[in-house]
Amino acid sequence: MSKQINVALIGNPNTGKTSVFNALTGLKQKVSNYPGTTVDKKEGVCKLPRGLKAHIIDLPGTYSLNASSLDENVVVELLLNKTDKNYPDVAVIVTDVENLKRNLLLFTQIKDLRIPTVLVINMADLMKRRGISLNIPLLEEKLNTRIALISTRQNLGIDSLKEIINNYKSISTDPCLDTSRIDPEYFDNLKQAFPNQDLYKLWLVISQDANFGRMSRKTLDIEKFKTKSISELKRLQQKETIKRYQFINSVLKVGQTIDTTKATGLRARLDRILTHKVWGYVIFFVILLTIFQAIYDWATVPMDFIDGAFASLSHWLKTVLPAGIATNLLAEGIVPGLGGILIFIPQIAFLFLFISVLEESGYMSRVVFLMDRVMRRFGLSGKSVVPLISGTACAIPAVMATRNIENWKERLITILVVPFTTCSARLPVYLIIIALVIPEGRFLGLSYQALSLMFLYILGFGSAVFSAFLLDKVLKIQRKSYFVIEMPNYKIPLFRNVLITVVEKTKAFVFGAGKIILAISIILFVLASTGIGRQFNNADYIVRMEVAGENLSEEEIETRIASHKLEHSLIGVAGKAIEPVIQPLGYDWKIGIAIICSFAAREVFVGTLATIYSVGQDDEDTIKNRMKKEINPVSGVPLFNFASGISLLLFYAFAMQCMSTLAIVKKETNSWLWPMAQLVFMTALAYLVALIVYQFLK
Amino acid sequence: MINEIIQTILVISAMLVATVFLIYKFVVSPKRKKATKECGHDDCGC
Ligand SMILES: Nc1nc2c(ncn2[C@@H]2O[C@H](COP(=O)(O)OP(=O)(O)O)[C@@H](O)[C@H]2O)c(=O)[nH]1
Ligand SMILES: [Mg+2]
Repeated sequence: MSKQINVALIGNPNTGKTSVFNALTGLKQKVSNYPGTTVDKKEGVCKLPRGLKAHIIDLPGTYSLNASSLDENVVVELLLNKTDKNYPDVAVIVTDVENLKRNLLLFTQIKDLRIPTVLVINMADLMKRRGISLNIPLLEEKLNTRIALISTRQNLGIDSLKEIINNYKSISTDPCLDTSRIDPEYFDNLKQAFPNQDLYKLWLVISQDANFGRMSRKTLDIEKFKTKSISELKRLQQKETIKRYQFINSVLKVGQTIDTTKATGLRARLDRILTHKVWGYVIFFVILLTIFQAIYDWATVPMDFIDGAFASLSHWLKTVLPAGIATNLLAEGIVPGLGGILIFIPQIAFLFLFISVLEESGYMSRVVFLMDRVMRRFGLSGKSVVPLISGTACAIPAVMATRNIENWKERLITILVVPFTTCSARLPVYLIIIALVIPEGRFLGLSYQALSLMFLYILGFGSAVFSAFLLDKVLKIQRKSYFVIEMPNYKIPLFRNVLITVVEKTKAFVFGAGKIILAISIILFVLASTGIGRQFNNADYIVRMEVAGENLSEEEIETRIASHKLEHSLIGVAGKAIEPVIQPLGYDWKIGIAIICSFAAREVFVGTLATIYSVGQDDEDTIKNRMKKEINPVSGVPLFNFASGISLLLFYAFAMQCMSTLAIVKKETNSWLWPMAQLVFMTALAYLVALIVYQFLK
Repeated sequence: MINEIIQTILVISAMLVATVFLIYKFVVSPKRKKATKECGHDDCGC
């Protein structure tokens, strides 16, 4: 038998479970999802004294075992299932010294499950300032357990906690409350029907099903005890809560003293400003602007570095490896594909650095409180603000940032609408097309071109909010009608927690979505570099014959060949095949190729056109001139005219042209349904709008 | 000549791995998930 015990960290949100977890496990931790859900599951290993090893799980925050959300349900399901491989040998209930009374409710419930239950009272560093003193030996006696008074911030008491976990066998498993006292008649009947079952567990199963509307459970035949209506069962749950608080009050009356004169007014004063009707919003938007400015400014340095490093790596590989198609795949497909994944890391890391600092400091709850009323009208939550605004940098970190929206419906809606916001990859596409088709004049001192760009940003944000509104009406997912937000105290963020969040989010992206992105890049590359028929295979010869009379440099000939090959590659054939479909939008097959390729990432649009028009990629001016000269073979007018240009701009504004976003949505929603719905709906919308606009303007 | 053959084999295998991986992600894993039990009513990820 292996000497490893299961330890579950359980507690109300914000009591410091994750901090305790980090203190116990350090970086030896792993994050995954609970099966079939997107609730974070954190596991780690901790060495205890005398060679015992503890496998520790950081469970989602929960207020009680009468679960009402999926997060809470995860906890209950684990504690009710003795056969689960993670079923705890010992439960560690993390509480915070300032909210001991409320926190103890959960403690008494878990202790009644007869699991050895250790009580951790965290944030001991705040006791003095808040005038709280505790009689630990007395509390241990009254609660009939072992207590560790700790502070993860000051690293105090962690060793004694390990010692207590180590001796978990000596902890009494007697319950705090006699379950049948809740309602003697009902529970006596229950006991007679299931003499071999633990009464409290039975009751939890029944009340759980009442909460979740799930009316069958194979393991127990409890059907006949559903004779009570759901509202009666809920009333019993309330009665249970009241009984428990009576017990807790009697314990704390003797075990805890609070000198109220010492409670400082700093928090109240800060709250008054930060949640002020006017100043609250002003401060929040100033902070947001600073953050996004910083993300743009700081992230560009490492992003340029990654970009440069991968370009040199490609170049180097081409010089050292034998020439051939696999070398090309590596140098032009895989390496740039990897670069295209890693280039998102700086933005993801910076965004989560800021988010976790705001969250850790307690400010985020104030923001959520402020924004909630506004966002709720559109089916979003106060917590949707950050993802929506992060979307202007990139939809990927934005989708990842929705994880802290507890309500599934609000989270799903946020994920679905975020890709409408104008991300930075749309910018190169917008810039070149605006420069081509929007005249240079000014209106009230503002250039038409700048106004067009601003309009596109507003359009993006507007479509996001409007679709949220529609989705809220359409999606048949019930959502909780009440809104509880806890205002934690202001705290200086713990550096270790911030660091771990950043590392975790970055890893989740690279290893989760990264694999899908890489696979699609390989396929796109192969499709673009293989072709059937003479035109593709003899491209070199054909082009050289064609240009024989012209006086071109070797380099110019090479780009002509590349262009010729792309035209006759499988992707080129596909581009031509979709020409009839995109012709009504005013595009030709070359734009078709660029649209297909830019599915890898929107900014690829410009690069692909550069290859097709066989000009050096960096030479923006030349691309622009080439694009200007293109003539639409059907109508005989310039291909990039006002009508087709606007149509193309709107197509990119609405279309889901980003496989990385689809990959992360798949990961975050745990299903292909939602990313596919996004792809189909957004593409259809983009097509329709582009079609109408082109037909109207042409 | 040998070089060309090896390169072609490498590319074909890379393509295969990528395709199989995507098919697995698209088709197989969502199906397998359906088999696991349904979950609650409101805040749920399925
Ligand atoms: N003052 C103080 N703050 C703490 C301590 N432990 C955690 N915190 C803070 O409490 C907040 C919530 O911590 P976290 O570990 O995320 O709680 P969880 O929601 O239960 O996982 C964070 O802002 C932490 O920095 C502590 O010992 N003392
Ligand atoms: Mg946590």
